[in-house]
Amino acid sequence: MRTLYVSGDSLLHRISPRVKLVGLAALSVVLFASRSPTLLGTLCVASAATYLLLRLPLHESWQRLRPVLLTIVIVGLFTLVADSAPQAGIFVLRLTSLMLLAAAVTATTSISDFMGEITALAMPFERIGLLKAADIGLAVGLVVRFVPEVLARYQAVRDAHHARGLKPRMLTTAVPMIILTLRNADEIASAIDARGLRRQK
Amino acid sequence: MLTRDLVLTALFAAIIVVLGLLPPIMLGFIPVPITAQSLGVMLAGVVLGAKRGTIAVLLVLLLAAIGLPVLSGGRGGLGVFAAPTTGYLIGWVAAAFVTGFLSERLVRREQTGLVQGAGFFVSALMGGVVVLYAFGIVYLALVTGMGFSKAFLGSLAFIPGDALKAVVAALAGRAVMVGYPLLPQRA
Repeated sequence: MRTLYVSGDSLLHRISPRVKLVGLAALSVVLFASRSPTLLGTLCVASAATYLLLRLPLHESWQRLRPVLLTIVIVGLFTLVADSAPQAGIFVLRLTSLMLLAAAVTATTSISDFMGEITALAMPFERIGLLKAADIGLAVGLVVRFVPEVLARYQAVRDAHHARGLKPRMLTTAVPMIILTLRNADEIASAIDARGLRRQK
Repeated sequence: MLTRDLVLTALFAAIIVVLGLLPPIMLGFIPVPITAQSLGVMLAGVVLGAKRGTIAVLLVLLLAAIGLPVLSGGRGGLGVFAAPTTGYLIGWVAAAFVTGFLSERLVRREQTGLVQGAGFFVSALMGGVVVLYAFGIVYLALVTGMGFSKAFLGSLAFIPGDALKAVVAALAGRAVMVGYPLLPQRA
């Protein structure tokens, strides 16, 4: 699976992931607390500048930003019709700034940095016995490992449909895919326990 | 949590990711394309029950947040949580929980197929439509300031597709229960 992280040496790459995430959270509070068009406009320009600092190719940036930008524009237009122009403007500026900043953090923070932060965040919960912090990393690794396998299984089920002259439908493909996938759970669990990865009985 | 339950949630998260890779379907009588990913959210509750289903959905959102393009249409990254439709993503967690919670209580092994199917359908409809849209619409209304009735109106076009998915989730839930039952063993 391709990640959205882009390796590089920009200022944002060098800032610690914790600072970036806390900063993003703080800025989102500011963005949602403010109703001033000047402040929101300034922040939006600053966010766009931050994103441009990454020097991603224009085409790739568009690919990354398009889906969310599109929903913001559509909902913005809907707000314009259903409500008023200032309301729509504030909404578009707010979410566009937040989206650009979030995309910049995503592009400059590697998966392992993120996992480190999440594990640190989960530590207090481990102390009160709610979960094991190391399990989160294990689970994330398992999902990434098994997505290609599940996809291959889906394709096999779809090919089986075609071979029998059937049209693949959501129901008739999903059921065999789920059963075939989940049937492996016992083997995988035994393999994990046999390696003592979770250090438990 | 047993290792087996951990593995089951991770495998189901992978299934939800794969359902998001499938191309969206256009049905003639519904104006918007239907993606299979939200079907996966209902299925998580129906197949795995409340606890494991909720964790499977949380895992998918976690993968998206740390920058993997696991949401339908190859979306991912923290940016997707800054969209006007983020309420639906947050609602996934509650949707899987409610679907699973109701499935565990409404569906039992000794019931006839029809009753089981109906139980799964009610569960998926309550979780995957009622609860999901409550989250999505409230978030949309608050973030745009357009008011609840207008936000509801704007979301109306998507409801038939999701109601249809509840039917598919019910049928699939029953088929999985017959083929590989997991629901009665509560995690």
